[in-house]
Amino acid sequence: MGTLNAKFGKKLAKYGTFDFSACYNCGNCTAVCSLTDQEESFPRNMVRYSVLGLEDEIKSSLKPWLCYYCGDCSAYCPQEAFPGELMMSLRRWLTSRYDWTRLAGLFYRSVIWNIIAFLLIAAGVITYAFHVNFSLEHVMHVGHLFEIVAIAAVFAIILMPNIVRMWWFTIAKSGEKIPVKAYLISLRELFLHMFTQKRTLDCEKHTFRWLEHLILVIGYLTLLFTTVFLDWFSARNKIVIVFGYIVSGLVFIVTFHFVFNRIIKSKEVSRFSHHSDWFFVIWLFFMGITAFVVRLYIDINIIEDNLWLYLVHLIILVQWAVIIVPFGKWTHFLYRSFAMYFKKVLTSANQ
Amino acid sequence: MKKKIGVYICHCGGNISDYVDVEKVYAEVRNEKGVALAKITMFACADANQKEMEADIPEKDLDGVVVASCSPQLHLTTFRAVVERAGLNKYDYVHANIREQGSWAHSDNKSGATENAIHVVKAAIAKVRNAESLEPIKISSVKAVAVIGAGVSGMRSAIALAKAGCKVYIIERDHFVGGRVAQWENLFSTNETGEEIIKRLYNDTINNDNITLYTGAQVLSQSGNIGSYRLKVQINPGFVRNSVYSYEMDEAISVCPIKIPDLFNFGFTQRKAIYRNHSGQLPIMAVIDDENCTRCGDCEKVCKDIDFSQQKKEINIEVGSVLVASGFDTYTPKNNEFGYCVIDNVITLPQLKRLVAMSDRHLEYKGNRIKNIAYIYCVGSRQLDGENKYCSRYCCTAAIHTATEIRRKYKEINNYHFTRGVRTYGKQEIYYSEALKMGDVFMQSFDNELPEVLQKGNKTFVKIKDILTEQKELKLQADLVVLVTSMVPRDGISVNDLFKLPKGRDGFLKEIHLKLRPVETVIDGITIAGCCQGPMNLTESVNSALSAATKSYSYVSKGELELEPIIAKVDKEACTWCDACFKACPFDAIIKVEEGFKVFARVSDSICKGCGMCLPVCPKDAIELNSYTNREIEEMIDMLASD
Repeated sequence: MGTLNAKFGKKLAKYGTFDFSACYNCGNCTAVCSLTDQEESFPRNMVRYSVLGLEDEIKSSLKPWLCYYCGDCSAYCPQEAFPGELMMSLRRWLTSRYDWTRLAGLFYRSVIWNIIAFLLIAAGVITYAFHVNFSLEHVMHVGHLFEIVAIAAVFAIILMPNIVRMWWFTIAKSGEKIPVKAYLISLRELFLHMFTQKRTLDCEKHTFRWLEHLILVIGYLTLLFTTVFLDWFSARNKIVIVFGYIVSGLVFIVTFHFVFNRIIKSKEVSRFSHHSDWFFVIWLFFMGITAFVVRLYIDINIIEDNLWLYLVHLIILVQWAVIIVPFGKWTHFLYRSFAMYFKKVLTSANQ
Repeated sequence: MKKKIGVYICHCGGNISDYVDVEKVYAEVRNEKGVALAKITMFACADANQKEMEADIPEKDLDGVVVASCSPQLHLTTFRAVVERAGLNKYDYVHANIREQGSWAHSDNKSGATENAIHVVKAAIAKVRNAESLEPIKISSVKAVAVIGAGVSGMRSAIALAKAGCKVYIIERDHFVGGRVAQWENLFSTNETGEEIIKRLYNDTINNDNITLYTGAQVLSQSGNIGSYRLKVQINPGFVRNSVYSYEMDEAISVCPIKIPDLFNFGFTQRKAIYRNHSGQLPIMAVIDDENCTRCGDCEKVCKDIDFSQQKKEINIEVGSVLVASGFDTYTPKNNEFGYCVIDNVITLPQLKRLVAMSDRHLEYKGNRIKNIAYIYCVGSRQLDGENKYCSRYCCTAAIHTATEIRRKYKEINNYHFTRGVRTYGKQEIYYSEALKMGDVFMQSFDNELPEVLQKGNKTFVKIKDILTEQKELKLQADLVVLVTSMVPRDGISVNDLFKLPKGRDGFLKEIHLKLRPVETVIDGITIAGCCQGPMNLTESVNSALSAATKSYSYVSKGELELEPIIAKVDKEACTWCDACFKACPFDAIIKVEEGFKVFARVSDSICKGCGMCLPVCPKDAIELNSYTNREIEEMIDMLASD
């Protein structure tokens, strides 16, 4: 039995949604959705739960992650209740529920806290640089070290426990017995979706968006690999250097296009932008472009006189790694893949 | 007995002649007894043919006419007018339908259709042969209308009638005018308050010289019929001399020892036996309620305006028409219907509206601050098992409007609507949209699985199986449960019984025809307006009030009325007064007359409807119906049954 709670709507509004309570239950949104099916019917059902304030039901549902936001539901909604935007907000809300530190919720709800955190990080980096007398070599070395440590720590301390929590809410809590075999045979689904996001292709007219996303994901992961493991900024190997240029270029070109879309609001998907959306694309863009320019300055030998440039890059990198990756929109990439995995686990267990 | 009859047989451009052999019909009927002229015409209704008929009648000296063509619904009045223009009486014309009941019905059997047409035309000729000229019955009509009830419908129709120049008597049972609308604050769509509307109507009413307003009045008896209804009205005194708002009167009210529940506030508050009008009600004055006053005299001692010497008055008024606008009652839920009377915080929507009207900064009920309100819809209407099968129409909008008003007034309140499908028809849909956008929650149940109201400890819960959420069971802890009650017919309205006004299956007063004659009753001269006829919102009530005013005005405007002469008449010689016809008459049109030793029945011209119920019960065959006399009908049967 669900307990009604109309106040949930007000809570949810802080995560970006609006007007979803205008829904009069026609079901057009579900009818036009390319991704909904018999077993997993949405978004009407999620709109309904949100209106009624059935928090537990939403928390145990994977449906918000199964939506890839083509925006058709919002475009066809006769009540202008923007179900697509509601699904987006539910993903943000779920992220805040999965996050054991509760910081995700804080950053989603408040733009001020984001800015404070960003400023603190910037101050920290500058203080450290001051501490080592602005020695480029020193700063770059620690910067590189930070990348390795940050990846490991964020993953181990925040992301892993959060994914376990997601698993608890959506699968384990119901008490359903799932055989280990189901987890194993479904693993393929996890990696397939993580690296291809191929479900986007099922949204009509989204081939180009999928391609952009794919390039971004691969570009981003490769840039990560290039800078962290191939130590791009210190590399001598010509191939590695050129490769770094290409992938960082790809990242900032694609993210520039995303930012541009959000500014001109040409499509339903980019019509509404929450601050977490802006931070995500803008920081990615800055990461790409500053990495590119830093390497360029190294290659034309003027980096020594322009330490500030590397510091900017480092500040952006730390903000990205410490705020946006564990508590921001970056996690959606992870939760989406795990949602597809968990869905597969549940269906194979039921067979 | 007509001797020179003209018969016109119509082709209807093939509609008739494609199946009926018109020539054969012509040949068969041209030599019928009394037929002086027979013609075939392509379109009988065409101007050219009408002119030809007009010329034929004086030329051939015709005394009766038959046109065999389409349904009388279509052209009976057309041809009656033709014969009248040519100088005949309209009852000298008889219409034979050989299209709808001939060619069209028997298009598969041409010879049969022709036979049928021949018989129908011959029967019409037989009827016209025996037809008598009749003149409409003229009676005088008093140019005055009595309006029963001084709510919005009553006052609005009275103002309309008075402006048309008609004398109006408003008879209101209560000591104050305003009816139900006086009880409401903001009204939907215009956002005026009930008080503002009543004030406007009241001012127009008392400032119009044509209107006489009787409050504290009720009709004791009536006699007469359309054009002249005589009503005996009793006027109850208020026992208060002048209506000035005085300190002494306040004192008189405070010393009164009698306390009774105040029905204006649905029993939420109490009033004394001497009490003032509520805001919304008019006129501004205090009255003593005769029924509950014990004449202890305490008020008299402190206030000089009290006057117990006032007496009941009886007055007689005569009007040409009566307009009934006696309003509705709100449904009172049965004991334990959704917890009513059993669970503390279960009230009705009208009660909630009064509660809001009386509340200030917070909405409180029995000392508890209200946060969550559950509205349960369709209480007392659309009942699966109960008697009220009808949809009460106004309640969805009323509940939603009240809920949004509450939300505007008290920000902390959440509204939960337990509906059976929201029916905010027409423009009222805007309110539904608005409520949704404000975050009101709407759920819906089937009529066989209604929501449940439960009490656990000191908490009240409402449970529903919501068909909008995959039939999921949902539960709410409610601070206040509001039963959205329906409109029900008002009990104890004396005029309803005095005039024997017919009621529908729902118990509301019944019109003659819902679509075509929506404000007339089968009692000639009595019209109905507003919610005495069925649930209506204010707009609809005023529409019906103005419509009823127009209809009532049409009965009295000329000072004279023309009635259809097709009525029963009694052969006074043959009648021996057995009272069979008296019992059979549904309209009380039979009057017992004694002239010396002779006792016989007489038919009241103005009451008789010509229904014919008295005819077959008469053992002496002493009653005939104009235009359907025994001879006419018998000869028609002979013709229809002939080979």
